[in-house]
Amino acid sequence: MSAQTHRFSLSEISVLLRGETQAIAEWSARWDARRFTLHIGVIILGAGLYGAAMGWWRAPQQGLYVAIKFPLIILLTTFGNALINGMLAPLLGLNIPFRQSFSVIVMSHAITAAILGAFSPLIIFLIWNAPPLTTGAAGAPAYSLIILAHVAVIALAGVTGNLRLLQLLQTIGGSRAVARRVMLAWLWGNLFLGSQLSWIMRPFIGSPDLPVQLFREHAMRGSFYEAVFHALQRIFLFH
Amino acid sequence: MNENNPVPPMIPPADRPTPPPVPPLATPPLAGNRPLGDDPAERVAIPHAFAAIEALLRHPRRLMFQLRQPGSGKLIGGMLFVALACAAVYGVVAGTFSGHEQLWAAPVKIAAGLFISATICLPSLYIFTCLSGSQARLAEVCGLLAGLLMLMTILLVGFAPVAWIFSQSTSSIAWMGFLHLVFWFVAMLFGVRFMQNGFAHTNAKSHAGLNVWVIIFLLVAVQMTTALRPILGRSDTFFPTEKQFFLAHWADCLKQQDGENNARGRN
Repeated sequence: MSAQTHRFSLSEISVLLRGETQAIAEWSARWDARRFTLHIGVIILGAGLYGAAMGWWRAPQQGLYVAIKFPLIILLTTFGNALINGMLAPLLGLNIPFRQSFSVIVMSHAITAAILGAFSPLIIFLIWNAPPLTTGAAGAPAYSLIILAHVAVIALAGVTGNLRLLQLLQTIGGSRAVARRVMLAWLWGNLFLGSQLSWIMRPFIGSPDLPVQLFREHAMRGSFYEAVFHALQRIFLFH
Repeated sequence: MNENNPVPPMIPPADRPTPPPVPPLATPPLAGNRPLGDDPAERVAIPHAFAAIEALLRHPRRLMFQLRQPGSGKLIGGMLFVALACAAVYGVVAGTFSGHEQLWAAPVKIAAGLFISATICLPSLYIFTCLSGSQARLAEVCGLLAGLLMLMTILLVGFAPVAWIFSQSTSSIAWMGFLHLVFWFVAMLFGVRFMQNGFAHTNAKSHAGLNVWVIIFLLVAVQMTTALRPILGRSDTFFPTEKQFFLAHWADCLKQQDGENNARGRN
């Protein structure tokens, strides 16, 4: 890889993060394999680094596993919903080709992953300062702090990625209402599939009482939504 | 109306020139109010089924215009073929939940069920459109119904990867049934919207008749899933041996699921 490619890559990421919608809209209109590879690379690297930081508290091996799983969830969600997202855009008023809808979603996920990657050193620092994840740690304040930090960082990254996506869709389509409609439809679909994929690919932080595993033994048994439903049942119906 | 109106009439002062009258803010014409075919792109013929899919998603007015032209039978046939193929693809995905014979039984039942439902409901659709004042010919009504089926089924194919992930993860028939119904309902919403837009160009005076028909079609299709059961689960026979209404069938499924959950909880 030449230095020119390297400069090109860095400038692309900063343009994405700044949300320069005119430039990004032009990128999305033309297919560029190198740019697409770069965005996929950002997703793998950014989400992978964050995943490594997340799993490292339990064990280094768990960090490696989560570094693989975290970007995998984003990529599988993107590819799994590509077809329906590409169909929903024109049906909801944004007449863009399938390739462009796929491209803008990948870009928004690249922004999210870049933010996650940037926060990974902070998470590592937080974990380095926390007591080891041992039995009984779940009740400790450090555990709650780390969980809240993950929630905050992931929420920040997700919200920013989607705001950038909304701005981009508005630039492409010219209508805020249409952009909001399309973005919300995509967001619902991605959340729906992403939640299930996260459920299948658990654990992430890991548990001191359970072995370090890539997937749980019964990973494909049950769904995220059934678990939520049963939890609600236990709370409200005392089952 | 009120003679004691405290607001004085707006009289321009005599020493200032009267500004030109400002026209009221014009409402942009609705897409449905423009006559079909006023854009030359809409008059371009649709040569094959893939072009019909593209037109349905991106330029539905082009498809609506072409459905009004003489000799639209070939286009309608192509659309129905796409709908059949897409329903079969989605059926295979639904069949992966149980595997075995359901891999072929589910696509057959889903595709057949959809087409039987549409055939049963076609006469009532024609009657309702006539009652609402529409000038649509039977061929055009068939074309719009084919558009509804095609849009529904291609959207279902779009949902198929998500449905497959859940099929491989859960063993709950109730949950999978609910998920398929949600996907089916979302797909139908878009299909109905296409149909309503199509009928807006046929001088229909109201959508009330069409809305009633949508409810009828919904009920028929849902009952069809019960009449052709099992679609998700397995059975010794291809068709059910007991007749049931869909609500009773769903209640049975939920009870069975609850029993399984309780048994699992005791173990």
